[in-house]
Amino acid sequence: MTNFERKGFFITDSGEKLLVKLSKQFYEKPAVMAAAYKFTHKCTVLIEPLDEGYVGVWFQAKNNESPDMLPGLINDFCNELIDQQVRLDLDKRYGGLRDTIFEHAFLPTESFSKKQK
Amino acid sequence: MINDKRTNYLIFPFTFHRLPDQELLLVNQAGEFIFISSQDFDSFINGLLGTKSQIFLDLKSKHFVTDTDKQRAIDLLATKLRTRKGFLRNFTALHMIVVTTRCNFRCDYCHASSTAPEQRDGNMALGTAEKVVDMIFRSPSSTIKIEFQGGEPILNWKIVKKIVEYAQSLNRHKHKHLEFVICTNLTLVDESILKFLRRYQIAISTSLDGPKELHDMHRMSRNGQSGYDLFKEKLDLVRNVVGQDMCSALLTVTKSNVNRLRDVINEYVDLGFSGIFLRALNPYGRAKLGRERLGYSTEEFLEAYRDAMAYIIELNLQGKRFVEFYTSLLLQRIFTPFSTGFMDLQSPSGAGISGAIYDYDGEVYPSDEARMLARIGDKKFSMGNVHEDSYDHIFSGSLIHRLVRDSCVETLPGCASCVFQMYCGADPVRNYAETEDIVGHRPTSEFCKKNMGIIKYLFEMIKENNDNVMDVFFSWMTKRSLEEMRK
Repeated sequence: MTNFERKGFFITDSGEKLLVKLSKQFYEKPAVMAAAYKFTHKCTVLIEPLDEGYVGVWFQAKNNESPDMLPGLINDFCNELIDQQVRLDLDKRYGGLRDTIFEHAFLPTESFSKKQK
Repeated sequence: MINDKRTNYLIFPFTFHRLPDQELLLVNQAGEFIFISSQDFDSFINGLLGTKSQIFLDLKSKHFVTDTDKQRAIDLLATKLRTRKGFLRNFTALHMIVVTTRCNFRCDYCHASSTAPEQRDGNMALGTAEKVVDMIFRSPSSTIKIEFQGGEPILNWKIVKKIVEYAQSLNRHKHKHLEFVICTNLTLVDESILKFLRRYQIAISTSLDGPKELHDMHRMSRNGQSGYDLFKEKLDLVRNVVGQDMCSALLTVTKSNVNRLRDVINEYVDLGFSGIFLRALNPYGRAKLGRERLGYSTEEFLEAYRDAMAYIIELNLQGKRFVEFYTSLLLQRIFTPFSTGFMDLQSPSGAGISGAIYDYDGEVYPSDEARMLARIGDKKFSMGNVHEDSYDHIFSGSLIHRLVRDSCVETLPGCASCVFQMYCGADPVRNYAETEDIVGHRPTSEFCKKNMGIIKYLFEMIKENNDNVMDVFFSWMTKRSLEEMRK
């Protein structure tokens, strides 16, 4: 068992695949999907529900990649996941402003004037 | 993850990227950027940053946040965004015309898969040429740039002349800003052709891959003559007749010259060119077929690009003004809100809406690369034909709608949260060429890897903020000399 496994970071499946278990309390589906997407060049990624309140992300090295790179990749995945969740949280709080700015930027002048009234 | 504590300031949408040194790069919707420490970032997003602190004031001045007039900040962000997306107001301004597929050269990386000069069926006919020009003048754009492409356009010179004269005659009533460019290997031009080019202020875009031994490795005439000798012989004539500034050259980086870019740059300088575009090989035509022999990895290209940039900056600092045009374009996108109009770096992509290409047979494609795909048998991106289809069908059909819909970096997987999205763009045709899907796959995209590598390098330079380097960059952006910059 590696240090990572001892910390419960991930679980191996015969050394070929690694499972990261994520709490839904902290991570939402769009953040998990966006973070996982970034690693699809090196791994086949499978996302599936686990016990209640958890989601599992399986990583398997693609044919031309060594499974030895998986622990390092999972470190990067976990950090990426935090960044994606931060983006999502910010977007929930302030994302509406993006639409307002786009609308303001591209609305024909006369329509915008009417809307202001 | 973010405290629920109510903030006393309002954060505007932005993207971010962690840098190796515990700092982050933040970019907002107007393309303004700021470097911020990891600690300040955490305070910022948690609403804990003091509104009197310097970092808060910096963030506020760049419209990442406001604690005062929300509406005013939205107005400013919207104005900058509208300016940045100005290319959308103009619609198709660049119109490329393939007057012939024939070429007297047989470059082994030819993206356009040219045909032999003897093959007569690759020439555009007069009736097609007139219909193409009529179609071009239907564009609502106030600027029209017609670019002659091939093959070697001089092999159908009669049609080039007709198109120029016909476009000029139509423009007497249309009053558009009309420009012409001809892409030629120069070898077939003579004095009468050059006088015509001068008369109509037709700019010349030619090709140069470096010193003779590098240029001739890939650019030989079909009868075995040195492409370099023919090019060099005509270059002096061209400059004597049309002037020094009307002729620029385009480089194709191959396996042969990727590690010799300093020699290539020296050749450009020696021949009096004012700059270079370090253009990587694209996956089309013969370049795609000969990838093993001609290609290199994106990592190799990026390493060569960095070395070439160091050399170019050094030349500028020694008093030789010389511009890397792609870098200059990216710097303008990073430092100014202006629309720069480079098709590959637009969102939505400029394919079709900023530029279009008319093949010799009247088929219309949204980009040169789409035409190149058609040449190797894949006509997926044909928008229609000038003989059969109306302007509305061609420029407002389902294909162009799909291209626009699926090429907004704001919504593309991998791009939507990318910190560089305001400076980058989408290339749906390239995506399709690489993955058979116009949305593409960012983690394996060489286009993404290359652009991200170059933009990261530029931000390293910006963060380092070396006075000399920044002076050179600003002299390129402002088109002023280094001395003027330093006054």
